[in-house]
Amino acid sequence: MSAAGSRPSRPPAIARWIVTITAHRDQRCAQLGDLQEEFAERADLGKGAHGWYWRQALGSVGPNLAHRIRHARRARDHGDGMMETLLQDLRLAARGVRKNPAFSAVVALTLGLGIGANSTIFSAVYGLILDPFPFPEPGRIVGVGTAYPKLNAPLGFFENLSPAEFTDIRDQSTTLEEVVAWDMGNRQIGWEGPPQNVFTGFWWGNALRTVGMDAHLGRGFTDDEVARGDAVAMLSYRIWRDRFGADSSLVGGTITVNDAPYTLVGIIPEGVTIYGTDLWTTMGIGPERFQRNRRQFQVMARIRAGATLADVNTELAVLARRAEQTYGAEFEEYGGWSMRASTWNDVNSQLFRAGLFVVMAAVGFVLLLISANTANLLLARAQGRRREMAVRTALGAGRGRLVTQVLTESVLLAALGGAIGIGVAWIGAAGLQRLLTDFALPIAGSVAVNGQVLMFTAALALGVGIVFGLAPALQGSGTHLSETLQTEGRGATTGVSRQRLQRTLVGVEVALAFVLLTGGGLLLNSFVRMIRVAPGFDSHGVLTMRLTLPRERYSGEAVPAFFRTLAERVEAVPGVAAAGAGTQFPPIAFAYRELWLDGSNADPDGALPNALATITTAGYFGALGIPLVAGRVFDDRDRADTPLVAIVNQVVVDRYYGGRNPVGRRLKVGGADSDEPWFEIVGVVGSTRNRGLDQPPAPEVYALHAQIGEVQNQLFLVARTTVEPISVLPAVRQVVAEMDPDQPVYAIRTVDDALAQAASTRRVTTLLLTLFGAFALVLAAVGVYSVISFTVSERTQEIGVRVALGADGGRVRRLVVRQALPPVLIGAAVGLATAIPVGRALSGQLFGIGALDPLTYGCVSGILLGVAVFASWIPAWRASRLDPVEALRID
Amino acid sequence: MGKGEFLGEFEQVVLLAVARLRGDGYGVSIRQEIERRTGRDVTVGSVYATLARLEEKGFVASLEGDPTPRRGGRARRLFRLLPGGADALRATRGMIDSLWDGLDLDAADA
Repeated sequence: MSAAGSRPSRPPAIARWIVTITAHRDQRCAQLGDLQEEFAERADLGKGAHGWYWRQALGSVGPNLAHRIRHARRARDHGDGMMETLLQDLRLAARGVRKNPAFSAVVALTLGLGIGANSTIFSAVYGLILDPFPFPEPGRIVGVGTAYPKLNAPLGFFENLSPAEFTDIRDQSTTLEEVVAWDMGNRQIGWEGPPQNVFTGFWWGNALRTVGMDAHLGRGFTDDEVARGDAVAMLSYRIWRDRFGADSSLVGGTITVNDAPYTLVGIIPEGVTIYGTDLWTTMGIGPERFQRNRRQFQVMARIRAGATLADVNTELAVLARRAEQTYGAEFEEYGGWSMRASTWNDVNSQLFRAGLFVVMAAVGFVLLLISANTANLLLARAQGRRREMAVRTALGAGRGRLVTQVLTESVLLAALGGAIGIGVAWIGAAGLQRLLTDFALPIAGSVAVNGQVLMFTAALALGVGIVFGLAPALQGSGTHLSETLQTEGRGATTGVSRQRLQRTLVGVEVALAFVLLTGGGLLLNSFVRMIRVAPGFDSHGVLTMRLTLPRERYSGEAVPAFFRTLAERVEAVPGVAAAGAGTQFPPIAFAYRELWLDGSNADPDGALPNALATITTAGYFGALGIPLVAGRVFDDRDRADTPLVAIVNQVVVDRYYGGRNPVGRRLKVGGADSDEPWFEIVGVVGSTRNRGLDQPPAPEVYALHAQIGEVQNQLFLVARTTVEPISVLPAVRQVVAEMDPDQPVYAIRTVDDALAQAASTRRVTTLLLTLFGAFALVLAAVGVYSVISFTVSERTQEIGVRVALGADGGRVRRLVVRQALPPVLIGAAVGLATAIPVGRALSGQLFGIGALDPLTYGCVSGILLGVAVFASWIPAWRASRLDPVEALRID
Repeated sequence: MGKGEFLGEFEQVVLLAVARLRGDGYGVSIRQEIERRTGRDVTVGSVYATLARLEEKGFVASLEGDPTPRRGGRARRLFRLLPGGADALRATRGMIDSLWDGLDLDAADA
């Protein structure tokens, strides 16, 4: 950063400002002048004037402040100085805080919770969305996504590109460099002890070069190793630490991967977590060996120096059009397709970003609500200090002085809250991180309280302190002397403007609570509707686990034979009613394929027919309880040497066959001209929620593992039990061990758990928002209560007179409650007006209801009004029981 | 002030710089004199904090110079050495000299 430029520039404004605020006023002018003079001198000589100025400014902060403190101490006897004033205000504020320990504790604690919740969420946003990776230039690392309108496939970044498309980008792009592609699967690594299953990335290219990092130990793959498909491996930092004891002598040695020796060339740096892969190796086969439409790979690249993300996307659009023109006739899905790059940070966080931002907005609202509530409490308390303020004004204190003093106190309270908030954030962040680790979510990044989070917290506390302190500060200092001194003497209702302010704050609280409750209510309503959705099969009591047979030991007919035998033997385990196996099961099916239907190949939406393609054993439908609608399920008639058969679900029938029974017709899994074989449809089964409970069922085609399963070495075992599903696990493991002692099983869970996990983001967002809504309701109730009871206490004499004159309790109660309602109603109206756009913004997360769901809005209004009336009724009830004699004697 | 008063190290540095500049000492020239003679890059804040202390003790006096455009229209503050400052410098040097008197570090090491 030198001053080299067109004209000798001015000193950096922020650095100058730092000197201005830190230097003592007697020296400020001379220091700034000296700095500017020497800055100009250095700028003329081109001697890094900016950097010099910054060093001088920052280096002067310490001596300048030390000088001011010394000066303030010396000057204490004879009066002012800004430092001295500040110290005095702080002492006064500390005294105020100590004098009301309970009040201060409540305020600091609520603020602490609010600030801490915000800091916790911020730490998650920072660690998972803004800066999840240790890449030196995260803004230049991108993933390439695709959208295929013809396949009804929106922009996706997962299993979205084919090897040919990857090489097109790699060889033709001028804005991207170090373009790599990878596929993912499971491998078993062995090294002392039983083999362990690890999620593995298979690479074309060296991803470490793409992200601009060196291996933690050793090195990344060389171009030659990738080209030859050598048996080289890298391990993730975490697995190297946890499983291999961080033994650096392993690097350069041999580990076994699926029983084959691999050279461990390096350790992936910590934090470079790509979709949770723990083992990297080369693809082992060249991209030219795949069909152009084999889309199961991801592409990552680095933006070249000088190019921007916009340049990349412009170029990708050109590449997409080029492919469409060249291959569109052969591959219809290229019609209107697009490619789009996003930073890898965005790609990585796309699954949970929306939910996290909703929660962040919600905690922000909660903090605003807490601030309003605190302002209200302080305002009520400031009332008691009016006389003090008036006396100080009479003695000559200026308004600014009083505002500063009250503000100092609120900022001090907020600082206490901030300190508690840091503690809360520490616990919260640790809890979130534990959750991430325990659930082994394939999310990169970590949640922790770091410098940024601390700065965020400090700024938040300061801002909050000023926001909630400003109202009472201006209010308290703006009093007219005579008015105060006069009205204080009498017990009449005082301070019209203060009351207005308090009522405004109540309105604000109600409005904020309304918005939070509506958000929580909409999500809760959606969630309840979602979990009530019938999944289309019997999900209870089904145990699943995954097995990946190593290709080195199982090939050809051995693969289907293994799974067929496994299913038979598991079915014989006591407690198991039925067992089968399949490549996927609801709600987590993902393998979409294009369909070609003999006779009627048309999609009502104009897209190409497509369906989830699932390969199963015969027992799969029985084990999952998927009902048969027409024809038959697979059975012993279907063998490797008999004609190929398929089963379709009801969605396929409705969408592609106009509801007519398709049994006996033929279909192909692949394009019209593809070499894929024809299948005869032998049965129709019911539709399941195969993409999650919140998505409509997708078309699904089932084929038999015994007929086409020779390359499908990775299946889920599904076992329907008559007992607690997990209780049969030891027996099932025993069966597997008897068949192959070196075969690990993994991803063990029940189908119900899978359903719950598929809804987990939604569950967490819903839970948090509902909690926040409830908290908001309590805070709003406290606000209404405190303002009304305060008003009542001020009107004690008036009420006493009314009672003495014969007003009955009911009349007094109505009077008080009626007075409480206008701000509540106005707040509710404002809340409603705000909640509608907020609800619309949430609509992506809603299920089964609209953003304007009348039930939710009705309930929220009802609950809020009910609580407000109740909160004002308590002081009203107390007022109605006043003894007039007592009341009139006060003051 | 007076004979019994000894100077801290940085106070000596600043005071000697002021003395060397013979009345032309101000922030920039003092800082640069120190940098030129000792190779130490000191901040303007620390120079002024020390000058303020020396002024309180009556070792230096300051007066406002003329504002210049190059300084953004701000005036220089010129410092000159007072007799008390000269006494303090002498006293400090005398103390150091008497400690050095007859000392041979090489011999002491051996």
